[in-house]
Amino acid sequence: MSDLLKFDYRTPCLSVALFAMLILWLRPMAVQKSPTYNFTVIIDITRSMNATDYPADTQAISRLEHVKNTLRQLIAQLPCESKIGLGLFTERRSTLLFEPLEVCHSFAEIDAAISHIDWRMAWAADSNIAKGLLSTLDMLQNSDSQIIFITDGQEAPPVNPNYRADFSTLKNKAKGLILGAGGLAAVPIPKFDEQGKANGFYTVDDVPHRSSFGQSNLDPSQIEGYNARNAPFGSAAVKGTEHLTALHEDYLKQLATESGLAYARLTDLAALQETLQTGSLAIEKPVATDVRWQPALLALAMLALIYWPRFFNLRRRS
Amino acid sequence: MNWAVEQPWVLAGLCLSLLPLFNSGLGNTPQPYLSLLPADNVSVIISGLLRLLAMAAITGLVLGMAGLHRTEQSRERIGHGAHIVLLLDRSSSMDNTFAGQAANGKEEAKSVVAKRLLTEFVAKRNNDLIGVAEYSTAPLFVIPLTENKQAVQAAIAATSTPALSYTHVSKGLGMALSFFQAQPLTGSRIVLLVSDGAAALSSDDEQKLRIWFKEQQVRLYWIFLRSAGSPGIFDQPQDSRDDNAQAMPERYLHQFFSRLETPYQAFEAESPDAVKQAIANINRLENLPLQYLERIPKLDLSAHCYQLATLLILLLLGINFLKVKR
Repeated sequence: MSDLLKFDYRTPCLSVALFAMLILWLRPMAVQKSPTYNFTVIIDITRSMNATDYPADTQAISRLEHVKNTLRQLIAQLPCESKIGLGLFTERRSTLLFEPLEVCHSFAEIDAAISHIDWRMAWAADSNIAKGLLSTLDMLQNSDSQIIFITDGQEAPPVNPNYRADFSTLKNKAKGLILGAGGLAAVPIPKFDEQGKANGFYTVDDVPHRSSFGQSNLDPSQIEGYNARNAPFGSAAVKGTEHLTALHEDYLKQLATESGLAYARLTDLAALQETLQTGSLAIEKPVATDVRWQPALLALAMLALIYWPRFFNLRRRS
Repeated sequence: MNWAVEQPWVLAGLCLSLLPLFNSGLGNTPQPYLSLLPADNVSVIISGLLRLLAMAAITGLVLGMAGLHRTEQSRERIGHGAHIVLLLDRSSSMDNTFAGQAANGKEEAKSVVAKRLLTEFVAKRNNDLIGVAEYSTAPLFVIPLTENKQAVQAAIAATSTPALSYTHVSKGLGMALSFFQAQPLTGSRIVLLVSDGAAALSSDDEQKLRIWFKEQQVRLYWIFLRSAGSPGIFDQPQDSRDDNAQAMPERYLHQFFSRLETPYQAFEAESPDAVKQAIANINRLENLPLQYLERIPKLDLSAHCYQLATLLILLLLGINFLKVKR
């Protein structure tokens, strides 16, 4: 007992604490591999993205609105040294607003740019997604940034299967992801007037329901009123459901396979983060991390040990 | 002074700094009954000091681990500079050379010239807030007014991707003017329009733009990248029948800008050198006194905390060796 009393554990404890502090000054930083991202996000701003089929607090919000909200939340949570570039898609092509920027340093700018995205930025009104994806891949094939192409897969006007985009030369040149936005049930597409006010929805007579470009892919003998020069698609008026829009998942999956990208559906932030983490999109990058807390914790433990109150222990034993 | 920590929950560890109040850290001595000894003021003071040292050491460690820092500050300064919105034409003709041909190896496309020279321009403007807007058929909001030059450069670099569609200059100007709405009125406010064409404005648009330019007190510079053979902004119509906005949109746009109640200057550039000259002119002209906020970056204080803790631990260890042992 007296040996225990005599043993002065304070000196070794203080020595360990001092040694820990020495390590703290010698090795303040450690290089750790941590996942970072480098994305170029291309957002579809065609009309069908105005369809409101994402439920929110009080009323459903549009696909574009949901995409913007989710992205803004996402960049707030991406690790520093990740980079985000931003682009828009409409018509047959996409354009880049800015090249990838570091998310921590340029957070305010990226956030403002995303929040200002509007369907009225569209420079033309068609929505040829396959061609748009092709132009995106072509534009970014030499970039080290990965593509996140966000769209609902609604081709307007419908594509003639004879003239599909050919991805063979660009397949697997770029890594990335097609994110499908929208619900699976068909909903109407809002229409806006010249002043930007909502003005009903597109009706069945407002949009073409089949492609009338080039040669028909059907057997001419099956087409009513076929004329090779004047009516290669026949004379019958076709009515379909192209005025309604739903997420064309099968079509987007097919595009993803053809272009060598992955496909995922955009639901909420948590699901998106999981997709990004598991989808091998993260780049393991050595990042200098502050590890001073480790020796500091040891020193703190030593000090706590020395000064830990002993109201009763020794007295009770003796 | 605004102090903050990175990890607030670590501050719970500050409770540990109270430990020395309950334990002097000196240990029990074989001489059991201290009360027999007369009270000694010096001893009380020394023992109190030792406890204080230990408390400070623990506090230093905890604050260091919590990441104590002084938050980013800003200081108001007077300098020379401006708030500039770059309004860039992304119409497809920008991808042609000044000779009006598709860009080949010998001659640069107008968009490439503009990109290169604007990059240099932005690099020179240290105190400015710069924003970027683009337009084609529709206006594109790119980067808000910011001192973050990297963001501006990234946006300018992105203009090397293929250009878009037509020229709808009034919407682009409206977008550019909207950038100033939430900004304090200090220094000069500039819209720097870089385009290679013009379009007729509707009278409605003209009226709105005139009001906005006046309200926001924005000065306008127009660098007109003129292709060979295309009409210029200073051209006089040879035939009076051509004297209308549809036939000569450049001339009419210039006239409209000249009638604005805010300063306006046009530069007609027919070659990369002329563009360089124009940008140098603007760089020289736009150095009015500007009130701006200088950012003082976040100051990390955790190193100071750790320094203090190290010193105190060293001191405690030294004192520990002074103890008389038997």
